[in-house]
Amino acid sequence: MTVSSIPLVRAVPRALEHLGGATVMAGQILRVLPRPRLYMTSALQQAYVLGIQSLPLVLLMAFLGGAVTSQQTGAQFSGGLPLWVIGSVLAASMLTELGPLLTGIVLTARVGASIAAELATMKVTEQVDALIAMGRDPVAFLVVPRVVAGALVFPPLVMLADAMGMFAGWGIGLLAVDGLTTADIVYGARFYFRPWALWFSVIKGGVFGIAITFIACYVGLTGSGGAEGVGRTTTMAVVTTTIVLMIIDVLMIPVLKAF
Amino acid sequence: MIEFRNLHKSFGDLKVLDGVDLVVHEGETLALLGPSGTGKSVLIKHAIGLLEPDEGDVLVDGISIAKASPKELRNVRRQLGYVFQNAALFDSLTVAENLRLAQEDETGQRDPGECRREAAELLRRVNLDESVLDKYPAELSGGMRKRVGVARAIASRPKYLLWDEPTTGLDPVNADNIDDLIMELNSTLNVTSIVVTHDLDTAFEVGDRIALLYEGKIRANAPPDEILKDTDPIVARFVRRSRLDAEVA
Repeated sequence: MTVSSIPLVRAVPRALEHLGGATVMAGQILRVLPRPRLYMTSALQQAYVLGIQSLPLVLLMAFLGGAVTSQQTGAQFSGGLPLWVIGSVLAASMLTELGPLLTGIVLTARVGASIAAELATMKVTEQVDALIAMGRDPVAFLVVPRVVAGALVFPPLVMLADAMGMFAGWGIGLLAVDGLTTADIVYGARFYFRPWALWFSVIKGGVFGIAITFIACYVGLTGSGGAEGVGRTTTMAVVTTTIVLMIIDVLMIPVLKAF
Repeated sequence: MIEFRNLHKSFGDLKVLDGVDLVVHEGETLALLGPSGTGKSVLIKHAIGLLEPDEGDVLVDGISIAKASPKELRNVRRQLGYVFQNAALFDSLTVAENLRLAQEDETGQRDPGECRREAAELLRRVNLDESVLDKYPAELSGGMRKRVGVARAIASRPKYLLWDEPTTGLDPVNADNIDDLIMELNSTLNVTSIVVTHDLDTAFEVGDRIALLYEGKIRANAPPDEILKDTDPIVARFVRRSRLDAEVA
């Protein structure tokens, strides 16, 4: 057995290569950003495709998340703590965690997978080569509009998901938790609420939006092979993005605590 | 003039180009022949900077592709039209939008009406009707897609045209039509062309000169009548075998 046959030994240079490639692509994006004329029309089209069309799914997931949170909190804390705690837990979890994370995961599956598959298909069918051959910059043409759209559209989606989760938690909580009243929910939510939590939710949405679209574009453009290659690339984009979102989630906790 | 100088290219352990030297002169059509998988497409992709050589260089009008700045490379690419094997049209865009990408630069400042009129003219040049403009690539036949690919390649009024297997996948009638189109465009647009093909009929029909790429090197490089008389057994076998295949077909 040679050293190079150990999977970890082979994986490290590959990971560093991807890190380098992603850094170069980030630099290319930053060079294009000051010239909005190159990408803004396309970014707004992408914002519609990525955002508006994802709205029903995002709202459904937020509804279910809110409904689960209020029932679980009610079941765990009934008898031990006052019922208004449900309102606090609901507001805290939806704003700081569930709203952004559920939206992020839904959009990874829906938007990230779609971007990665589309770009990988363009790569393997030489459409990306055709762009280069015409003297066009594939990053300016394909990547920047998608990343800008992600940054623009994900924060409002997260805010809507937060609101839907809270309303669902309130409504389902009233139906499912004995003795819970609207006054409990409102009191608990107001007891917890800090404006920073709302900003934190929006900022997290923006960071997730950039991460999801950036990773999907980068992985998509590394696609190779035929249909199987496109499938492999799409899976890789979804898995990588999900892991990165969780890492960002952990890293952002000190930001929440700082204010 | 396009010069390939001592070009080497490997993919992993597979050596594809092993010191290719080739010159394509102004105004001529060079047919680059060779068995499938010998690196013909790899060779011309170096001319437009889609691939970077491991060693050697390509000079387009004296500009080194390996050393060109991004701006120089962009300018060189505007001089080169590339006709992809499978057309490589953007499936999410209509034919008009596909052509418009090549008609204007990245700032997109040209008048849309003027672009559309010019696009219709480009389609007429490749014997397609104006009604195709609003169709998506998926709504076109293979031959029509190839023609739109040609129209896109000539949209920037290039000085050079690089044809990557232009007749592959087409029936004999459509293949003949594409051969005619190559010759017609070469004379009317006065372009210099490299036609990559493994189809001997196409090579002899359109080529002023024929080069045979074999095992990573240029094995023969001469006008068609001289190639036919070449006594090199590899060249003779390739030419004879291809002709036999054509006769059987």
